[in-house]
Amino acid sequence: MAWTTLQRRCLVALLLALTSHGIMAADVTVMVTDAGGKPVTDAVVAFYDSKTPAVNPNAAGKIIQKNKMFNPKVTVVQTGTSINFPNEDSVRHHVYSFSPAKKFELKLYSGVPTNPVPFDQAGVVTLGCNIHDSMVGYIYVVDTPFFAKTDDKGKAILKLNDGQYTYQAWLPGQNKPAAEQKITIEGVTEVKIPIP
Amino acid sequence: MIKFKHIRSRIAFTFLTVVVAIQLAGLIPLKYALVKHANTLAEDQIDVGQRVFVSLLQHNTQSLKQATQVLAADFAFREAVATNDAETIESALESYQGRIRAQIAFYISNDENLVVGTSDAKAILKSLDARQAIIQSNAGTLQFDIVDDKPYQLITVPVKAPETIGWIVMGFAVDSQLASQIKQLTHLDVTFVQKTNVKNWQLVSSTADKALSNLLLKTVADLYRQRLTLHSVDLNDETYHLKIRALHETPDEALLVVLQGSVAPFTQDLNILFKVMLVLTLIGVGIFAVLIWYVSRKTTEPIAELVKDADKIAMGDYETEIQVSSTDEVGYLAKAMNGMREAVLQRSLRIQRLAFNDELTGLYNRLAFNQGVHQAISTHADSQQKLSVIVINIHRFKPINQTLGRDFGDDLLRHVGQVLKQHVLSEKDMVARLDADEFAVLLQQTDQAKATRYADKIQQVFEQPVSVQGQAIDVRTGIGIALYPDHGMDEEALLNHAETALQESRAKKSPWIVYNTALEIDQSETLTLISDLKQAIQHDQLLLYIQPKIDITTRRAVGGEALIRWVHPEKGMIFPDQFIPFAEQTGVISDITNWMLLRACQVLADFQKQGLRLSLAVNLSTRDLNNMELPAQITHLLSSHGLEPKALKLEITEGSLMQDPERAELVVKKLAAMGLHLAIDDFGTGYSSLAYLRQLPVQELKIDRSFVMFMDKNSGDASIVKSTIDLAHNLGLMVVAEGIENEYVLNQLARLGCNEGQGYFIGKPMPEKDFSIWLQRWEGQNEIEIDIGDDLSFAINPLEADPQPSDPFKLDNI
Repeated sequence: MAWTTLQRRCLVALLLALTSHGIMAADVTVMVTDAGGKPVTDAVVAFYDSKTPAVNPNAAGKIIQKNKMFNPKVTVVQTGTSINFPNEDSVRHHVYSFSPAKKFELKLYSGVPTNPVPFDQAGVVTLGCNIHDSMVGYIYVVDTPFFAKTDDKGKAILKLNDGQYTYQAWLPGQNKPAAEQKITIEGVTEVKIPIP
Repeated sequence: MIKFKHIRSRIAFTFLTVVVAIQLAGLIPLKYALVKHANTLAEDQIDVGQRVFVSLLQHNTQSLKQATQVLAADFAFREAVATNDAETIESALESYQGRIRAQIAFYISNDENLVVGTSDAKAILKSLDARQAIIQSNAGTLQFDIVDDKPYQLITVPVKAPETIGWIVMGFAVDSQLASQIKQLTHLDVTFVQKTNVKNWQLVSSTADKALSNLLLKTVADLYRQRLTLHSVDLNDETYHLKIRALHETPDEALLVVLQGSVAPFTQDLNILFKVMLVLTLIGVGIFAVLIWYVSRKTTEPIAELVKDADKIAMGDYETEIQVSSTDEVGYLAKAMNGMREAVLQRSLRIQRLAFNDELTGLYNRLAFNQGVHQAISTHADSQQKLSVIVINIHRFKPINQTLGRDFGDDLLRHVGQVLKQHVLSEKDMVARLDADEFAVLLQQTDQAKATRYADKIQQVFEQPVSVQGQAIDVRTGIGIALYPDHGMDEEALLNHAETALQESRAKKSPWIVYNTALEIDQSETLTLISDLKQAIQHDQLLLYIQPKIDITTRRAVGGEALIRWVHPEKGMIFPDQFIPFAEQTGVISDITNWMLLRACQVLADFQKQGLRLSLAVNLSTRDLNNMELPAQITHLLSSHGLEPKALKLEITEGSLMQDPERAELVVKKLAAMGLHLAIDDFGTGYSSLAYLRQLPVQELKIDRSFVMFMDKNSGDASIVKSTIDLAHNLGLMVVAEGIENEYVLNQLARLGCNEGQGYFIGKPMPEKDFSIWLQRWEGQNEIEIDIGDDLSFAINPLEADPQPSDPFKLDNI
């Protein structure tokens, strides 16, 4: 396509206008698709930039055990987040993790454990129950405030400022990111992440 | 083809062959099916064994897996694994390995960064393709491997935390323990063989004995190469079915399990079954054979009966009726045979009637009579009873027949037969006509007195003239009697002797004669006579006798008949009838004839010298008439003695002509052509007809003396003589009468026109030298008493005369 001078000027003007507003965080929709182009649910996406310091909100999350399942199955938290594991089943559970990112064990309990478990180290924490082998849960501990989990349409929405990022995409059960790439966010509202 | 003596054998053989063939046709496929079945059973056993083997392995695998899973699920073990605590892992593996009796145990992490094995397993870990094991485990297949030259079953179980982070692998040796465990369940021998990249095929373990397993090794290797999984193989006279299954195979390696089952146990049972079947078959065939034999016998028995009946018929028993008991084909056959038997019987009865009956008189014939006598003798043999055979002959039947007609003769014979039959003594007595005018009577249980009484009775009856066709005729009979057992032991002897007696009766003119041995010339004497006779000719013991012959009209002597006498040095005078028959039989007769002809010629030469024109007649026999040389001999004799042919007369009997008529005719014609005078002798006693004689060049007929002797007393005889003379004259023959015994007869003959005559009244046979004396006396007498009166007829009494026959040279002299 041959660009006319006028057109180029117009585009530059537009980009400038966007940049001037770039300080302001904007919603960016991320689409994760698999090799076949189908949307991937429960994929975790995290965007890293060099400027933004890690903000520890001291926020607390919870992963409920119900119907002998971890709910939600996939959880994404920023480092420093504590997660409680309330047991809503009538049976007791023995929640554990042998993952290097966080090893812990909540020996047979019911109800809400007294102490939430803090996750300080970024990485994948695989949750299991010593009683129920079928119970599997994942906690992705990320060292960035920009993260999200795709919905059943493979979509996730993040508030990102314009700038240089490196994003990672995780698929549940995998110890390593399925995709990792640098990306520049400038007036971009949609990022497509295909997983090879 | 097989030949059978009996139909039943053929039936039995055919059916038995079929039955045996059917049984064989059943048994052979049965045997085949049984063998096949045994093999199928063995194969099934192998199949089942294989399934059992597989399921056993799966079961084993399952339980081992579960046991291993316990370890994998252990929280502490997982923690050790998660924390890469190799030492703890190893000790946990060790303890578990011992617990589940595995030979190999190790852990391998998902990313293969951590591999921990028990001390035993460490050495072999290098050669183990762990990743491969894990993949296979995930595929759920049974998993074997050869590790460090030893085969193992590998059990792989994931370690989850909660996702799979690594694997526990347990290895169990494939060894004899496993083999025997399988054998216990499958009852099949189990052999494991393997091949590695280092070593060729080798036996791992086997439940079979060593020799067998070693033999198997090579077979299995071959089969594996051909990718055959099922095979049967013969080892040590036993058939084995093999099932080969690869437990583990790579291009270099292979671990095979071989299940082997023998067919023997199955064939054993089936062989027993087969033997039972065989025995049952044999019993069945046996029973069938008996049944077939019985049925075929039942079927053919009536036929065999018929064969017996047919044999009976063949033996001549037509009387016994064939019993018809069945209504089937055999019954029809029997009926048909009965009909045939009946027809044959009727026919044979008719033939018998023809064969044994005399058609003319309805009496028995000679054959029947002979049989009757034979039968009577055999029934009399025990009872000491006598029986008599009587032969009756009608005198002069021939001329009666010829002059009064054949019908008349036949009626006469019938009449005589009736008379004889009317006077028999019992029902069983037989009357038969033997010959033209000869009858025979068999009287049962009669002694001589009874027999002679019967003969007397017959004699009496015929003393009265018999009336036939309105004509009265005198019947004269001769009767000869022979008695059993006095005069013969069989029918032939009795009949012969009765006939001899009959001859005697005729000769002696007795009403009847009972046979006695004196009537016979002794046989041995006869033989002696024959040899003596030959000498007699050489030694001049023979004498020439001459019986004079006159012209009846002029009463002048015309010559005589030359006769012979034999003066035997010991026996004295022998008459011709005692030796001529034997001379005829032996051929000496030719010499006698020659002698006679010579002597006759000598005498005729003498007559010629004395100026007497006389002739001499010489008798020729049958043999002479068949002698083609005779004419030449006679020509020679006549010429050598300077005689005219007509001086020599030759006398021929009718019988001698009949023996070989063509030849005789030839000789006779030659003799006649030579100018010799030929005469038929004894006319009236034979059967030749005048018509036949007419064809012959004869000039003379001599009437037999039996007609002439009594023609003065019997008108019948006289008429026969008359008609004979008339017939002869009509044929241009001159007639000579024999047996003139008185002047009355001589005169009678003269009136009838008879040409010449001879007889005791004229002159008895006399020695040649006496003839001239007779001639002088006769000629002189005739000159003095030219007309001799009737009174002189008694001058010579026939009864006082020499009893010897006037004409003894003749063979059938009476």
